Amino acid sequence: MPPPRFDFDHVPVTFAAYFNEQLRAWETLFPAEKSYFDRLGTYLEKAPPAMFTALAELEPKMGVTSSSWPRGRFTLQQVDFLNRNPLYPEWRRIITAIFDQINPALDATTKGVPRIVIVLAPADLPVGPDRMWTRLVGKGRRVPLVVPEDISHCIPLLLTGTANHNIETSLVELCSAARGPHSSWTIETAATMQAYSQKGTHLSYEGLRTYRMRLMAEVQKIAEQGEIRGPRQLGEKLKTLQPRDAEFANDPLMAEFIRATLLAGNGTLLVNNTFVEWASVQAIRRAKPSLLVTSFGIRNKVKPFSSLLIFEDQDAATAIPTQADMLGSYVDLEVFYQYLWQEAGKYAEYRNNTAYLFLAEGMDEMLLIAPADFPQADVTPGQRVTLESLHKSCRLWLGV
Amino acid sequence: MLTRDFLKLAGLSIAQRILPPSLLQLWAQAADAQAKGRKVILVTFGGGVRTAETFAPAGLHNIPRLAALRPEGYFYQNCQNQGVLSHFNSTASIVTGNWQRVDDFGFEAPASATIFEHFRKANKAGPLDAWVIATNKSFASMGSSSRRDFGVPFGANVVLPKQLLLDAVKNIVRKPKDSDLSDRDAVHRRLETILQEGYEGVGWTIFKGGRQMDKHVQATLTRALGEFINGPEAPTSGDELTFFITREVMREFAPRLLLVNFWDMDVAHWGSYSLYLQAITRTDRLTGMLWDEVSQNPKYKDNTTVLILPELGRDGDANTANGFLNHRSGDPSCRNTWLLALGAGVAKGATDKPISHVDVAATAAAILNLRADGMTGVAAKEILI
Repeated sequence: MPPPRFDFDHVPVTFAAYFNEQLRAWETLFPAEKSYFDRLGTYLEKAPPAMFTALAELEPKMGVTSSSWPRGRFTLQQVDFLNRNPLYPEWRRIITAIFDQINPALDATTKGVPRIVIVLAPADLPVGPDRMWTRLVGKGRRVPLVVPEDISHCIPLLLTGTANHNIETSLVELCSAARGPHSSWTIETAATMQAYSQKGTHLSYEGLRTYRMRLMAEVQKIAEQGEIRGPRQLGEKLKTLQPRDAEFANDPLMAEFIRATLLAGNGTLLVNNTFVEWASVQAIRRAKPSLLVTSFGIRNKVKPFSSLLIFEDQDAATAIPTQADMLGSYVDLEVFYQYLWQEAGKYAEYRNNTAYLFLAEGMDEMLLIAPADFPQADVTPGQRVTLESLHKSCRLWLGV
Repeated sequence: MLTRDFLKLAGLSIAQRILPPSLLQLWAQAADAQAKGRKVILVTFGGGVRTAETFAPAGLHNIPRLAALRPEGYFYQNCQNQGVLSHFNSTASIVTGNWQRVDDFGFEAPASATIFEHFRKANKAGPLDAWVIATNKSFASMGSSSRRDFGVPFGANVVLPKQLLLDAVKNIVRKPKDSDLSDRDAVHRRLETILQEGYEGVGWTIFKGGRQMDKHVQATLTRALGEFINGPEAPTSGDELTFFITREVMREFAPRLLLVNFWDMDVAHWGSYSLYLQAITRTDRLTGMLWDEVSQNPKYKDNTTVLILPELGRDGDANTANGFLNHRSGDPSCRNTWLLALGAGVAKGATDKPISHVDVAATAAAILNLRADGMTGVAAKEILI
């Protein structure tokens, strides 16, 4: 379906440029994004001119002209122009003020449905439940859990309600069937969640290894040729490097999502948990899934000199054995839990109707941040909850 | 590349190679005389660090050395970066006293004269009297501006230890049959070889000073490599090499003006909070060791002012895309940093009065008794006694 057409001639060019760029990339937008930009475009067409007065007055002072900013074009030079402009802080403030007017109007048109974000931590973290989620514990409450004797059953019990990977009752599958293919995501460091996701969207840091290595080699090659000035130029150069070995090679939307996640997300190429966190943040921001299962792992210790060999295969670069960094991973994840929860809270789709379940494999407590009517929310303090029962609660909440 | 350009422009290579040894001796004596004057060392927490992880109450445990030194100096708890929030422009603003808006990745020199150029031009100071020792490998053009009336002939020597380390380590990785990174002797051998092959290959600017002087410089840098490689803690980071080279340059040449740029904490971009915290603590330790050197080295003791500050903060946890990973949001966490002044001529105290990054060069100029026209920044008078 072609992008919708809007009349933006009354919108200042530095604002319209971003919007036009999104319309140009229409085929690589998720349904939730298309819906947002459709509503935004409709709103902007009728927006009162006063909304843009401050920006219209600022642009000439910044040196914006019709030749440096032709309508309908948005280039890297323009990004640099904004970043280096002495009035950039003022420009940002005005843009924020404009969105402060737009967002409530658009939020009012957003239909909320019950959603769930499940965040899984690995079993090897060296802390107990009292120190697992210190940044978030005040937002919800710790709920005692019944831990199965075989802790490898934890995830199947939670996601399928059974210990034997019954995909028919997988939350991911049920949600995908009810709400569409991009409504349910699993994102993980390892490659175990695929077992619960046939129709859902599944991303694995390990699963993308071949593609990651190819990207790293290309980045290394380009960096050594010395032709690239910075990350933005590098990003442009690498836009053609879509996955060909990964599972989404035939899906342009997901191929672009993966490419952008790996190349625009700082350490996503290098650190497993950074990939999982940034991919989850991007999924929330862009696809607005009803169910997101994010599963972190343990990152490796940094080897001597490896900070100098960013784009080398660390296993091949040195004979020093790879070691897991449990404590470092714990410290990293504590921050990521907060960032994930915070990101979802920015969007009307998630506010007041999302249950956040923070669990660690084998840990006998979870952190639950949920609306009062989430089915488990009235558990008696001290009463232990089974993972099967938690699975049922999630199904009830999602209505699947 | 920069060195070659400079030599071509200034003709110094030939001119100084034909200087008689007696003149070289005079030069060295003049350097000794200058060493008796006031000195300034600027230390940047490059890569950017938030107040939350440093001088905020919850961050103090990450910086035990600086926290302990704070009562000994003057502390500005609100040092603002009002410029472009890229590394090169932030540090260029610090060393020029004007907000810089040049290429973010160091492909252009600062547009305003640096404090190094002001200092060398006003004092007719020799090239060994001003140094930039920077872990950030894109700082090759940080030592001088593109101003025609200043420029490279008045600039600082620029040493980029990480680039040297990078070349050595890559060379070893690409020839795995010869050695391995766990073989520190192999790393050392490769570092020395690169240094002997010339500074240009690693982007450094070292002013030629004649055969004797060149040998002296090279011997000094080589000794620093030895201390780095053979130290009891087996250091491996770019910042550690930056420290060892800085200390050796201080001991041998006692420059009056020095910028030391640490950089390891930019690992935050990798998205590992724990590695970011470790880098902060390492930078704190190295800055503390640098202060120890200033306090104990007779050429610096009692005549040196040290100004320590982050080149920028990093994004706050709330309302930004990914908090500590980035530094472009322009939020208060990103712009509001701190400055700690220590040493000679510094009053003890603290203030929440805002100062800004461009005030640093103006303050350094005041300490060095320089008339540095054209700076936007103003000297931080509170610390000048």
